[in-house]
Amino acid sequence: MVGSLGLSFVRWNLLTPPTFVGLSNYTQLIARDRIFHKVLWNTLYFTITIVPLQLALGLILAVALNQAIRGLTFYRAIYFMPVVTNIVAAAMIFQWMFNRDFGIISAMIWRLAEVTGLPIQPPDWLNSTFWAKPAVVLLTLWKNMGFTMVIYLAGLQAIPHELYDAAKVDGAGALHRFRYVTIPMVSPTTFFLLVIQMIGAFQLFSEPYVMTNGGPAQATLTIVYYIYQNAFEFGRMGKASAIAWVLFAFIFIFTFIQIRLQRRWVHYEAGE
Amino acid sequence: MSKQRLLHVLVPLLSIVFVLSACVAPPTPAAEAPSGEEPAAEAVTLTWAFWGSPAEAETHMKVADAFMAEHPNIEIETMIEPWSDYFTKVQTLWASGDASVIPDVLFLWPTPRYAADGVLENLEPWIEKSGYDLSDYWPALLESAMYEGDVYGFPRDIGIEVLYYNKDTFDEVGVDYPTEDWTWDDFLAAAEKLTVVESSGRVSRYALGMEGGKYQLWSGQNSGSILDDMRNPSKCTLTEPAAMEAIKFFADLMNNNLAMRDANLSQAGGDSAAFQSGQVAMIIQNASRVSAFNQAGMNYDVAPVPIPEDGQRSASAGGAAWVMSSASDNKEEAWTFLSWLQSTEGGLRIYTESGEVFPALKSVARSDAFLEADAPPENREAFLTEGENAKVGRFGYFPEWGELNGSIISPGLQRVWAGEATPEEAVPEICDQVDAFLAENGYPK
Repeated sequence: MVGSLGLSFVRWNLLTPPTFVGLSNYTQLIARDRIFHKVLWNTLYFTITIVPLQLALGLILAVALNQAIRGLTFYRAIYFMPVVTNIVAAAMIFQWMFNRDFGIISAMIWRLAEVTGLPIQPPDWLNSTFWAKPAVVLLTLWKNMGFTMVIYLAGLQAIPHELYDAAKVDGAGALHRFRYVTIPMVSPTTFFLLVIQMIGAFQLFSEPYVMTNGGPAQATLTIVYYIYQNAFEFGRMGKASAIAWVLFAFIFIFTFIQIRLQRRWVHYEAGE
Repeated sequence: MSKQRLLHVLVPLLSIVFVLSACVAPPTPAAEAPSGEEPAAEAVTLTWAFWGSPAEAETHMKVADAFMAEHPNIEIETMIEPWSDYFTKVQTLWASGDASVIPDVLFLWPTPRYAADGVLENLEPWIEKSGYDLSDYWPALLESAMYEGDVYGFPRDIGIEVLYYNKDTFDEVGVDYPTEDWTWDDFLAAAEKLTVVESSGRVSRYALGMEGGKYQLWSGQNSGSILDDMRNPSKCTLTEPAAMEAIKFFADLMNNNLAMRDANLSQAGGDSAAFQSGQVAMIIQNASRVSAFNQAGMNYDVAPVPIPEDGQRSASAGGAAWVMSSASDNKEEAWTFLSWLQSTEGGLRIYTESGEVFPALKSVARSDAFLEADAPPENREAFLTEGENAKVGRFGYFPEWGELNGSIISPGLQRVWAGEATPEEAVPEICDQVDAFLAENGYPK
């Protein structure tokens, strides 16, 4: 890590001796690098969409699969399966599914258009700078939802049953019980997931790398992807290190803020 | 007396033992430490690095075996990595500076970039000493492996594109097969008939599948260029009419549903998959697809790429090259191997026979290894036609080209291929950024 801090002050392509350039890697990034700004925005887009959706969907799934229903283990296994699926394979399959003319997702929309006679067309997912981002979000959600679900399940099962009984006696309906018992009681879990998922979203790489190559027109290029490009495709190790340190600073600041804010909404009194 | 006699016997005996042990001992460490310090007289081990799929790896092994059979004193040790990891791996090995792990002979692209970094052996002295024949290469091809006027690598193949067409589709629609005389207009007329658009707007068959990154093929045919000088550029020339016209031609193919959009093509699994599944009726690609189409038993053939009225052919004179590490311990043997790889009867013949490449040497392309292969495509002459007229200009031969193209030109044009910007909107913007990049990196030098 210290080495990479040192590297961020040099210009080095791995093969010729490094030359010291002072802070210019950083100043260029912040002041002049148009692509870096785009990449920051993309990463922010992915973080603010993926993290809340992930948490919400994970919690809903966990609550649904915390009921006594038939085939419970089977369902849980199904939803967890994507987590242990190889991301490269998954991304390639999604790539096919998203294809405008021949993909299965589009096929359903084309079929709908045919049946209803409405002039609707599927989005040109990975060919569009607008739709490629949601496509990456969908893949990421599909891939990671199971993980959030499992952690939430553990959190849910730690909630003492008496709390629900007491709420019921007080006349709280299912929605109220969810809002005033479940959500506060799993807040430590939510906090943990929030931090973990946010760090994960900041480091998004494999999904766009395989599915979109960061395109079209850099619409899905993320910070980590940009580090990779600079280090291994463009021979700019120094710049790559500088970006890595900027990323580190972001993660540090955001995590710090979260830890500060947690006092306001995380309840640790379970079991007392 | 008997003692003395004993000595007479013992001294020679012991010396024999010493001599013998001296003879026997060394081979063991030599065998254990390939490319070690001692220049072991019997067998020199060369490390040979390349990328490739499992099928390609098999051909590489065949080449190594054939070489070792001819040269019993040289042992070839192979190092194979997938394309995606290969360059990271060899750069790391070079960065380590440890001659015992750095491959002696490697497959590499782009050669000039690495030559500029000083990790490659200048081949000029070797060529001079051995009288190696450079005139057998296709015109302009060696330029892709040159740096400051010197040859640093031998391109194995030449990535010239031809037009592959699906005969079944042409028969079904009733369009005549492409010929050598096809112009852009002939091509457009055929494409209109080959594309199938359903009433909903879904395209169930595109006439053409062609990677967006190959746009310079069209532009070169029209005498357009990317930069004013691909070695030492001073400005972007994509905005000039010849290039603009070609970019518009390609963009219109996509906008009119005649060509599959670039991103959709890679989504569909690339041109090879789209062609095999019938999603496209034609592709424009190099010889690397031949073996896959033959394995799939497709009914196809090839033709030279259509050119504009009064245009020229402009297949790409460039290809990955075999190079020698300047850090190699066994340069003499590495040269023997290198020059054997790129010789009429050597390694190149085996690669050509495998059907995976169109050879860099004219003599091999005109030999039975290429022309007499008893497999499709029938019209192999199309490759020769394109080869004779190959041009440079598809790639920049300066170290920052990868970054310039990967971060500015290619993403900028993706907006055009996606149909989100017209060439008139996108290209001037790209050129401004290219010019700024060149100035920032000190070009022209």
